[in-house]
Amino acid sequence: MHSRRVVITGMGAITPLGHSVQELYANQLEGKSGAGPIFRFDGHTFPTNFASQVKDFDLAKHIREPGRFKESGLNTKFALAAAKQALADANLLDNAKVDRTTLGVYLGSGEGSHDFPNLTVSLALACPADGFKVDPTEFYKHSLHSFGAAHEYEMEMHTTSGHVAAEYDLQGPNYTCQTACAASGQAVGEALELIRRGEAEAVLTGGSHSMIHPFGVTGFNLLTTLSMRNDEPTKASRPFDLNRDGFVLGEGAGMVMLEELQHARKRKARIYAELIGYGTTADAYRVTDSHPEGRGAIACIKWALKDAGLQPTDIDYVNAHGTSTQVNDRAETIAIKDVFGEYAYKLPVSSSKSMLGHLICAAGVVELITCVETIRNGVMVPTINYETPDPDCDLDYVPNRAREKKVSRALSNSFGFGGQNVSLIVSRFVD
Amino acid sequence: MAAAARRVVFTGLGVLTPIGSDPDTYFAALCDRKSGIRRLTFADPSALICQVGGELPEFKPNTVITNKEHRKAFKMMARTVQMGLVAATMAFRDARLEIGQIDPDRAGVEFGAGMIASELDDLGRASRVSMVGTDGAVSLGLWGERGIKDVPPLWMLKYLPNMPSCHVSITLDLRGPSNTITASDAASLLALGEAYRILQRDVADVFVVGGTESKMNPLSQARHNLFQQLSRRTDDPSKAHRPFDRDRDGSVLGEAAGSFVLEELEHAKKRGSRIYAELVGYACGFDRARDGLVMAKIIRTALHRAGAKADEVDHVNAQGLATDRSDPWEAKAIRDVFGPKTPVWAIKGNIGSAGAAAGAVELAASILALSHGKLPPTLNCENRDPECPIQVHIDGVRAVAKPYAVKLNFTDKGQVGVVVVKRWEG
Repeated sequence: MHSRRVVITGMGAITPLGHSVQELYANQLEGKSGAGPIFRFDGHTFPTNFASQVKDFDLAKHIREPGRFKESGLNTKFALAAAKQALADANLLDNAKVDRTTLGVYLGSGEGSHDFPNLTVSLALACPADGFKVDPTEFYKHSLHSFGAAHEYEMEMHTTSGHVAAEYDLQGPNYTCQTACAASGQAVGEALELIRRGEAEAVLTGGSHSMIHPFGVTGFNLLTTLSMRNDEPTKASRPFDLNRDGFVLGEGAGMVMLEELQHARKRKARIYAELIGYGTTADAYRVTDSHPEGRGAIACIKWALKDAGLQPTDIDYVNAHGTSTQVNDRAETIAIKDVFGEYAYKLPVSSSKSMLGHLICAAGVVELITCVETIRNGVMVPTINYETPDPDCDLDYVPNRAREKKVSRALSNSFGFGGQNVSLIVSRFVD
Repeated sequence: MAAAARRVVFTGLGVLTPIGSDPDTYFAALCDRKSGIRRLTFADPSALICQVGGELPEFKPNTVITNKEHRKAFKMMARTVQMGLVAATMAFRDARLEIGQIDPDRAGVEFGAGMIASELDDLGRASRVSMVGTDGAVSLGLWGERGIKDVPPLWMLKYLPNMPSCHVSITLDLRGPSNTITASDAASLLALGEAYRILQRDVADVFVVGGTESKMNPLSQARHNLFQQLSRRTDDPSKAHRPFDRDRDGSVLGEAAGSFVLEELEHAKKRGSRIYAELVGYACGFDRARDGLVMAKIIRTALHRAGAKADEVDHVNAQGLATDRSDPWEAKAIRDVFGPKTPVWAIKGNIGSAGAAAGAVELAASILALSHGKLPPTLNCENRDPECPIQVHIDGVRAVAKPYAVKLNFTDKGQVGVVVVKRWEG
């Protein structure tokens, strides 16, 4: 039904469960958790003092002269590494046979992290001992002398996709979107559309983010969305379990190379899977909560099915948004039951976030990659820490153990703060 | 491109700028060569490199948004978010749309936005109570234990870049696609271009699009003073931002929001909408070498998609950032496509650099120029720079002579967006 078909010809991932797609998937099959005490900063007194962090990351293992990016945020560093994997995997790295102006970049990537020590000191010295009104003159005096210009610049959100495009010579359309927790799913979906309508032959797309910094944890803690199970970090992310108490903050990057089918064929690229459906809607409800009956999510999943030309029963597996918050998991379950009807009870639904935590802007693409690996390997990743069923969440969540199943088509959901919904459908490639 | 592409028109405009907060006032001010650049007033700017900027002279969201429920949400919004919501609401009304009149599932929203800086007062107390001693080291231990309790509970939601889009979708009940593009100075053109494509692929009939950014905030000022080339012409604010001028010395920071209702042509006709202009071409890409060659290619692609020839273009509405590097880069691309004669107009001399909002309010100016049939002049380009060999339009208001206008914006890294609009002739 779409005249230009779009396939996945390369993948890359830097995640709390490994620095490659292979490790990411293998560790999920084993039900491993990436969570542990925060080591990115001294967070021991924070209401939540653990997170799911990328371990032992060294940019020097991925690119030459990493010092060029020493002022960049982790988001950019993760993105550069994951992008290189995906490009190399697709044989599009330094491939001069391909017109580089037809290769685009579309990232759902977040901002860098604030210079916490110098920002808070500048504020503290400008705030009276007994008040809360900050004196801007005092603030300027301290901040202008202590902030590093390069660090401040590298926080800007367009720098990540700019660095990736410059480093790997990708001169086609270049976008960065920010739709909170739906961002990289949205990026993949809009990249699909860029190729379908012929504005690019291939697009490197995905996302990258780290909010494991003092302001990130502060913000999420204040919104009461983080799990506070400080004594058992690896047990904290428990999507769909009755005793879930919030998500575990994660970080990382995922990238996929989307490519027009004939373009991929002509250069004999390996095809992992075909991306066949994309839907996106707004809840238009509240910025603080998702719609309690899943209104936007239902419309979104239906749209993706329609875009793919599929019936609900054509879907074999759902990789849920499944954050482990009370509200999300209940509303997502309602939405899946609404769209899939009785079939919902036969449809396995699992949450990678039970193991990875929530990679925020990078979550959607890493979960899409998990779907691709599920199709290729025929084993669904589990939802770990599923102990006590919630009467409101009564689907098959693939509890605790990976399970074999032939999966030909998988649905991946991402829902973001503010009521942003994205659904992607990926299929086994059939000629 | 598909042959039978759905056509897309502009049916509503909303602007908040330092020189006018409705389309007529804004356009009249541009014709009258008004400058909105003044010494900054929101806080004493004496410590800053650039002490002037384009502030909104007054911004009262309550006068536009009167619904009590919607007003309650203001406290959850940073100024940038409020501005985006107000501009979108004005565009929606200007298009004579009402909630309930259109199918909400086929109505989308897409905005360009940047990093939204925290207000100092939201973090000041928390920092102060976390200070150890008096020379100001802030202890993370104290912050986690005590400081955090002095940060407002919804702090993070006030500043997320996707909040302009989200509040617009909630306030105007737009349940279709929703996206936020965070590509710095190119953001709102890329957002507009993506919405245009979504309308063309027949999954929506109406889109509220735009861009919003306020840098009138001490944290934002401090950051941008450090990494952006900003004018030091503190003594002469209205002359400070000098696009393509030989003596330019950087941008001045501004604040603005611009929004459009984009509508599929048949949908617009069916409800008898007034049509400002047609969106006929769009292209984007990455000028990796930052030498204008790829930028020129992108402009040509946009013209080709628009079915327009370079000599049918009335004017190019340029970025005109007025930095050492940006203007020659841009001029080279414009010259390459249009030669030396096509008029080039840049309005940052009037309003400053509004980052992610720039594309929206600058494009609004060109749409107004086409619909009024006159092109206002560029301010402050007094001595042409031989490195910018283009025909900057500086000599008064001139009649619009040709049907198309081209709008160009790009980032310092090389992300480029180009939009081609066509005068509406019914």
